[in-house]
Amino acid sequence: MAEDDADIRCAGGRAPDPLVPGGWLEMREYGEEPVDFVIVGTGAGGAPLAARLAEAGFSVVAMDAGPFWRPLEDFASDESHQSKLFWTDDRIVDGDDPIVLGSNNSGKSVGGSTVHFAMVSLRFRPDHFRSRSLLGYGADWPIDWREMWDYYREVERVLHISGPVSYPWGPKRPRYPLRAHPLNAAADYLARGAEALGIDWAETPIATLSAPIGKAHPCVYRGFCVTGCSTNAKQSALVTWIPRALRAGAEVRDRAMVGRIETGPNGLATGVHYHRGGQWRFQRARAVIVAGYAIETPRLLLASATADQPDGLANSSGLVGRNLMIQLNQAAWGQVDDEVRSYKGPPSLAVSEHWNYRDEGKDYHGGWSYMSQGPLPVTWAKTLAGGRGLWGRELLDEMERANHSVGLKMVGEALPNAANRVTLADETDQYGLRIPRVTHSYSDNERAMMRHATRFMEDSLKATGARETWREMGDTCHLGGTARMGFDRTTSVVDADCRSWDVPNLWICDGSVFPTVGGVNPSLTIQAIACRTADRIVAMSRQGAL
Amino acid sequence: MRGRSLALPLVRILLRIARPASREARAATFFTGGAAVLAGSVLADSATEHYRGSFRNPAMVLPLLSASASLIINGGGGSFSRKTADVVHVAAGAVGLGGLGFHAWNVGRQTGGYRLGNLLYKAPLGAPGALVLTGLLGAIAGALRESRAGAVVPRLVTGRAAGAVVAFGLAGTVAEAGLLHFRGAFHNPAMWLPVSIPPLTALSLARDVARAIPSPATPYLLAMTATLGLAGAAFHAWGVSRNMGGWRNWRQNLLAGPPIPAPPSFTGLAIAGFGALLLLKGRTHG
Repeated sequence: MAEDDADIRCAGGRAPDPLVPGGWLEMREYGEEPVDFVIVGTGAGGAPLAARLAEAGFSVVAMDAGPFWRPLEDFASDESHQSKLFWTDDRIVDGDDPIVLGSNNSGKSVGGSTVHFAMVSLRFRPDHFRSRSLLGYGADWPIDWREMWDYYREVERVLHISGPVSYPWGPKRPRYPLRAHPLNAAADYLARGAEALGIDWAETPIATLSAPIGKAHPCVYRGFCVTGCSTNAKQSALVTWIPRALRAGAEVRDRAMVGRIETGPNGLATGVHYHRGGQWRFQRARAVIVAGYAIETPRLLLASATADQPDGLANSSGLVGRNLMIQLNQAAWGQVDDEVRSYKGPPSLAVSEHWNYRDEGKDYHGGWSYMSQGPLPVTWAKTLAGGRGLWGRELLDEMERANHSVGLKMVGEALPNAANRVTLADETDQYGLRIPRVTHSYSDNERAMMRHATRFMEDSLKATGARETWREMGDTCHLGGTARMGFDRTTSVVDADCRSWDVPNLWICDGSVFPTVGGVNPSLTIQAIACRTADRIVAMSRQGAL
Repeated sequence: MRGRSLALPLVRILLRIARPASREARAATFFTGGAAVLAGSVLADSATEHYRGSFRNPAMVLPLLSASASLIINGGGGSFSRKTADVVHVAAGAVGLGGLGFHAWNVGRQTGGYRLGNLLYKAPLGAPGALVLTGLLGAIAGALRESRAGAVVPRLVTGRAAGAVVAFGLAGTVAEAGLLHFRGAFHNPAMWLPVSIPPLTALSLARDVARAIPSPATPYLLAMTATLGLAGAAFHAWGVSRNMGGWRNWRQNLLAGPPIPAPPSFTGLAIAGFGALLLLKGRTHG
């Protein structure tokens, strides 16, 4: 390999072709002349926007703090090495239940955390877009579910989602572009448990190819999905939207850390200050889109405070950084006689959304889904040591039985709570930027959901004959909510189009705009919102409303 | 090796057709040729797939043995005794039927039973049927060789029987290709070909059997189907190359990619179809 992991790769009129070892794609470069849009972050929010806006003819520069990988040559089958995909910069976590940050809730790569996401691509339950009005909790989204349904469809096509032919929950949906993958043994245990308990289950709609598409190979069931897919079967933003953006004339700047959004005397954004190649630079832009996810997005907005906007940019509502939501990620595990080898294949091949769609029988608000699991060895050892308290001989003995361990894990809806928030600490990081402080505590609602979900999942495992079942209570996954969208400027940071109420040429488009997080993994919804935002920007541009 | 097992019977067929012989003898050659190609396809396909399944059940070796015997008998073109040949044809039928039953049982006992996911990924329900077809075509060829040359009634009966077997076999193979190509989401437009041309061939042949008069379209459709079977193998070889590591990683990708030996079963059936046409055509002026 000629290049080092630490190199800036997007330069000299070219960017890496993520689908070809040593390959390059031509890239247009804008210098630091004003562009129509500078996009901060190239994950599930930023990458679709870069592609769609460039295709609409706008000049676009998309920046990411992380490197630009070619998975076929840069990724190893090694959990420790692959932690290079995570955002492990300093943060301060506090509150009653501090969040563990860095792996399943962050990403520092071109493509963002989709480079190592679990690929689970579920749609929100339609009612969850209006949970306040229909179900009495959380907040309503300012977008109608039917409109989202169309954008979900677009994203499912772009990502070539492999999914079941008939999906048991929710309104009828069109057929997934590719067929579901075969179930691995871990998924079979979910299916058997669900059948024994009399509830529906399905093959998980998942963003990894079950047939070759273009230069991407089909999934080889290697199982290293959440540490980065070296096959390129995983339909990350890196291998889908980013090449599309480059072909449409967008410029991607890797290893470019944006530290501040600059505003002019009229209060409008004029560009971003970013750190790249050892120095601070300034990119001028007619509009700025922030897509840094639920910690970096509010961090950047708060760090961009001005004399006119002393509490942070776009923060007249005081809600920037507030209502941080995690998703519950508790699990139940057990031992079985069969050799399960749950790490083979994508980790979550079977799903039940039963408790997303059923409201009766709950002593809490919100929904949750649960999926089969496939932890890799280091992760499993950490789970046993941290989640179960095993150490020494006990831990070694349990690791010996790993091939017979089987588990189910939830993705559960945490409710928005203004006290859970991102603020700026006084300490600074390697760029000299103030470190985010992430404050998080569970409410009784989350605890009730955890209790119900872990009991249910444990029952499901027992129904398949699993023994020595136990519950892992500590984990969280996915973030959202720190720059929520809404119906008016006092109760939200952005409108339905992800446009800031306060700064008309500032847009925020990632998981932080979620008013509620629902009981499904967020990446599909983030990309759907990004596509909608792109369409709205194009429409407003045509009407002269930008 | 796989290439040779397919090429040999084809060469024999061409040699025999060139030689002047009775209509029955020529038809029999088509049937044995078709049966040999089919046997070769079954042998290579079940060998790969059952190897992939680690021969977990000892019975999984049976189709390999049976298809090998059928390949030898049919490829050997009458150099074996009728009795030996009959044993092999009957064995092929029995192993094939047993396989159909076993595959059906195997799918049925999976979680969710006969739900689509199991039909797509577990033991293919129709595949052992190819071995039954091999046995039937071989047996028809044997019966033909015994029959008196020029006898109008047996010619019509065997022509119709063989035509029905081929039409039915084509329909089954189309179903199998359709199911598995659906599994691949028809990601390459060429994947529609085996569910477009062979069904027409099967229909045309079935109509010929019903009317006892070959239509002029059938030979063309049979020729296209035979060609498609070989083209399919080439397409599948290309499909193997699209898996991670391509042909360099052949040991894994031959198992993971589309089955190269499967499409030539269309070729085998189409060759046998020509035999059926020959008999139907000759029923009045043989």
